[in-house]
Amino acid sequence: MAVKVNLHLTLRQYTNGQETIEVDGKTVGECLKNLVKKYPAMESSIFAKNGKLANVVEIYLNLQSAYPNELARPVKDGDEIHVTMMLAGG
Amino acid sequence: MTAEEIQRYSRQIMIPQMGEEGQEKLKRARVFIAGAGGLGSPVSIYLAAAGVGHLRLVDQDTVDLTNLNRQVVHWTADVGRRKVESAQEKLSRLNPHVTIETWSVTISEENASELVEGFDLIVDAMDNLPTRYLLNQTACARGIPFFHGAVNGFEGRAMTVIPGKTACLRCLYRGPVPESKFPVIGVTPAVIGCIQATEVIKYLAGIGDLLANRLLAYDGLNMKFTQFKVQRNPQCEHCAHL
Repeated sequence: MAVKVNLHLTLRQYTNGQETIEVDGKTVGECLKNLVKKYPAMESSIFAKNGKLANVVEIYLNLQSAYPNELARPVKDGDEIHVTMMLAGG
Repeated sequence: MTAEEIQRYSRQIMIPQMGEEGQEKLKRARVFIAGAGGLGSPVSIYLAAAGVGHLRLVDQDTVDLTNLNRQVVHWTADVGRRKVESAQEKLSRLNPHVTIETWSVTISEENASELVEGFDLIVDAMDNLPTRYLLNQTACARGIPFFHGAVNGFEGRAMTVIPGKTACLRCLYRGPVPESKFPVIGVTPAVIGCIQATEVIKYLAGIGDLLANRLLAYDGLNMKFTQFKVQRNPQCEHCAHL
């Protein structure tokens, strides 16, 4: 199943500037695991050491917040995941 | 309103949804602005220009040379001055009909509730997440709206919180995030601060659709706005009880 992952600006350094990547998976978690298999350097920016999402990461599925339990959310062909980062500056 | 005020605000009174009635609502409003920096500058300038009657501006900092690329209410001669004094001077000169009240204090758990007492809403123009969450919690506890904005580099985001009715900032909380000095170019807080000020004006006048249950993300490098839907978290530490 092809799911489009839209990457936050800071993650595009790992994809040669590419904004969206197509991956396979039945859940958001599977899709993100497959994403970091393609781009291993991205892993520490998305996941904490315990395998959970890093606190700074926000996940939206089809433009809707996937919080909480983001990784367990089922996805289907054509779905779109946005991986974004929380901002703090003012 | 005096004849001078009616003339001053005539171009916005002309907006059908606003009218003199909306302008009177702005004049009677009391707005708490947390932060007189990158976001606080455009927020305070445009709310003062629009005739929001009473602004309380809180910031403990002094103006630094590195602030001047974005904190446009402060000028070169203000380096070393307290930010709230610098802002008060400019805003009062911009619109003498607006009461500009300033507090040069650090917003803390001890004083947050007292600082916002008597105010209609809180504008989040802070530069760190812990104080943002504290203000979000205070807004939820007092049942007053919270207008969130944040920036980094060329990107920013804004969201409006109506406690008990819409998702709050804490509804999306996963855990603490390390603090770091953030990069930013002045046009980014200008965009986001103006969005926050727009939301405040709409809320006060009772017009339009607010950014409620919607997080608006701005990517200035690619000039894109993306709107994400957010929802209340039944387990939220700040608003679940409302």
